[in-house]
Amino acid sequence: MIVEIAHFLSVTSAIVLSLILIFNLFFYFADSHTNQIILSNKLFNQACFLIFISFGLYVYLAAIDDFSISYIANHSNSQLPIFYKITSIWSAHEGSMFLWIVFLTIWSVLFVNSLTLEHPLKRGTMLMLTLIILGFLLFLLITSNPFERILPFAALEGADINPVLQDPALAIHPPMLYLGYVGFVISFSFITAYLFHGDFNYSWEKDIKSWSLMAWIFLTIGITLGSWWAYYELGWGGYWFWDPVENVALMPWLAATAFMHSLFASSKSSVLKTWTLFLGIMIFTLSLFGAFIVRSGIIDSVHSFANDPQRGLYLLGFSGFITLISLAILAYRLPQLQSSKLIVAGSKESFLSMNNILMLTAIFSIFLGVTYPLILESLNGNKVSIGPPYYNTIFSPLILITSIFMMGSIDALWQRGMQLRKLCIAVAPTLLLSILGVYAIWHFTQIFSLIAYVGIFSGLLIIMSYALKLFSSLYTKAYFNKGSLLAHIGLGLLFFSVSMNSILSYQKNISLFVGEEQFVNASLPKFQFLDLKKTKASNHDVVAAKILVLHDNQSIYLNPEKRKYFARGQITSETAIHTSFLRDTYLTIGDQLDNGSWTFSLQINYFVKWIWFSSALMVAGIAMTIFKKKIL
Amino acid sequence: MTASALIYLFLFSMSNGLNAEAVYMFDDASEEKRFYSLISEIRCPKCTSGSIASSDVPVSRDLKQRVYELIKSGSSNEEIKDYVKQRFGESSDYKPAFDGLNYILWFGPFIFLGLLMAIFYSKRRL
Amino acid sequence: MNRIYSLLLIVLPVLIFIFFGKVLLTDESELVSYYEPKPIPQFQLLDLQDQQISPSAFNNISLLNVWASWCITCLVEHPFLTQLSKNDIDLIGLNYKDSKASAQQWLQKRGNPYQFSIFDPRGDLAFELGVTGAPETFLIANQQIIGHVQGELNQEKWESIFLPLIRGIQNKDQ
Repeated sequence: MIVEIAHFLSVTSAIVLSLILIFNLFFYFADSHTNQIILSNKLFNQACFLIFISFGLYVYLAAIDDFSISYIANHSNSQLPIFYKITSIWSAHEGSMFLWIVFLTIWSVLFVNSLTLEHPLKRGTMLMLTLIILGFLLFLLITSNPFERILPFAALEGADINPVLQDPALAIHPPMLYLGYVGFVISFSFITAYLFHGDFNYSWEKDIKSWSLMAWIFLTIGITLGSWWAYYELGWGGYWFWDPVENVALMPWLAATAFMHSLFASSKSSVLKTWTLFLGIMIFTLSLFGAFIVRSGIIDSVHSFANDPQRGLYLLGFSGFITLISLAILAYRLPQLQSSKLIVAGSKESFLSMNNILMLTAIFSIFLGVTYPLILESLNGNKVSIGPPYYNTIFSPLILITSIFMMGSIDALWQRGMQLRKLCIAVAPTLLLSILGVYAIWHFTQIFSLIAYVGIFSGLLIIMSYALKLFSSLYTKAYFNKGSLLAHIGLGLLFFSVSMNSILSYQKNISLFVGEEQFVNASLPKFQFLDLKKTKASNHDVVAAKILVLHDNQSIYLNPEKRKYFARGQITSETAIHTSFLRDTYLTIGDQLDNGSWTFSLQINYFVKWIWFSSALMVAGIAMTIFKKKIL
Repeated sequence: MTASALIYLFLFSMSNGLNAEAVYMFDDASEEKRFYSLISEIRCPKCTSGSIASSDVPVSRDLKQRVYELIKSGSSNEEIKDYVKQRFGESSDYKPAFDGLNYILWFGPFIFLGLLMAIFYSKRRL
Repeated sequence: MNRIYSLLLIVLPVLIFIFFGKVLLTDESELVSYYEPKPIPQFQLLDLQDQQISPSAFNNISLLNVWASWCITCLVEHPFLTQLSKNDIDLIGLNYKDSKASAQQWLQKRGNPYQFSIFDPRGDLAFELGVTGAPETFLIANQQIIGHVQGELNQEKWESIFLPLIRGIQNKDQ
């Protein structure tokens, strides 16, 4: 009964949204816009509210184990803790689509109501948002209905969800990611309304700045959580694989980062306006593209949900429709948007333009990597796989170029060029320190990899240049943007940590009998297999090993486990990880050999903590930027 | 083809074949490094995505075992990848070949970059 | 200049969308003509009746079906294979990573559609063929592998993937 109510509420919401559109189109040329906007706003709020209630009911139904609902029966189980019953909602296509729509609605209702009645773009934005929410809601109701029932024989028990999904990080990863992905619908809609409205003297940037920054933060956290989870849970010691699904999350992130920078230029110096508008549209377009790729099953990927061409075609068609509206309006307004100012070489604006160009190149590279296999296969049937070797090779020089420009940009001025001599003097210490740093690392580690060292050098360039800026600003008591500094150092640290991780980390395969010990290497002289226990937990069998490792004169106890779940017979491995400042000691149990010994996979992963820390720095930096403005 | 056939016969005759028990013992550290690096670049033929390093399905284990044996018997990285590609297809290598149509893939991003920079420097207004 | 940009802004996305639409609607069978023939790898194995089998056992047009007693989808495929074996085509089995006893028991219980089944307990020949699991089926003609289906072979896949290839061979011979 309740699920029918929830279903009914969603349908009603769709109807209300349609009414808003029809009403506004019908009365567009009539007078008394204010009343129309008030009415539309009220209706919009109600439509959003209906969706919230509908989802709230759905959460309730999942929490009370209503297995008469097909989706809940397929993805939940009465034995699950209540937290995972709720998070199982977004573990597959229909439910996660529902969550996506809820987030779309939250962002939209907050933003629309934040605009005053007199705001010239309130109506246009609201209409665009209405259209987008309606489109996705119809997609949900027509092709991916989460409210479907399996009557008259409701399931007595749910299918157990994948034990790998019963993890707190993985449970929050989709919500964070969606909040980010979807948050850029605000900039998309607002910019489209702005372009349509046609008054280009209005400084639109300030209205969406904080909203976009906030969405960026969520997106960054979402992507990082995914990586973090992969490292801690999956057991192969990696955190990024350039998987198609990772890639389609990275592309909006890159566009969003470019957008943030471009917005800054556009508001300060009124140049790069067209860039900024274009980027603001691109972010959500890339999000739509991501949703399409993941949910249509067009590219085989670990995350792929559906394999139904109907869904894919709808998403493709709708995304195309929305995108083309925006791009068409942008194309139409292009002549009017051209800035009258010429960008001076060596000015801050020129560096920000270069930043945009580099980000777009990065996006293009990823897009190429994701679509090239499809193109090739449709041309001559050849199958090709594109993975880390490709992306690492392409991104290495791009990162180097980016960091060189970043280094040069620090002391750039608005609308004024820089003297070459001054620039050289400014960057010389950074270059010197970075080269020294690279040499020191090579001398100390005696390991060489071109791609990695390019990354190390790039990271050092960024860190050193911003650190020097920090020190000189503190010394001269000049103003500097703390948030920006923090975020950029975070980025430099990311390049540095990722590269260091790739050259220093190593793996070893060890097989021992219980009680035996083995010498691994000079810094790891003892690996002792202390004990093995076989026990039973509520829904799985456990084989737990107790290992003592002597690493850099530190005694480390590790307890890796293997679990066999009753429900599906699935076997998972619980990695034992000990983290220290520089490295992680990472251990998984393998198989028991015929002779009775057990195999272990030991990994020493360096600088992993630093990678998470880099991400935290970037988020902290941007958070500072948002909230500093609020205080002011 | 003859090289791999010989290697196959050699292995078939002396090892306990593909009873893939995941034990990869190396005396040589550089061989060990090569092994772990190679298996992260060879795609798991059965999985929707991912390398054989991150996969534990039977065919991945077989492949890891075979890579292990090939390294120990002295094959180069090229030879090992060719060996795998002959049996499981061109798509087993996560590094696309550097020839023919693939030039678009490898040079594309840089051509794109050059193009954008050229347009920007000629216009300098946006 | 602006006109070109405006045009690109519209045309490029449209092209991309059309491309993806086309890919979505492409069927696996449309890629069949692109399969590159490979020679049968050398091998010397026994079949389930302990007879020596080598590549010469493959005359003319044959199907090599990878199966195992532990493979559940093979059960689903079995009736279709039985039906197929009644046609004028050699159906040869490749028993993959199985025990001889279980394999023979399975055939006894469900019927044996194969002329004979190569016994490949370690999966050595399967590895050479690039098998990723069971069931898989290879189409062999003139000592060359000319077609490959992963997963269950059914009427639909037979008609859209293998039949056209077989007809191609038969036309060439004539």
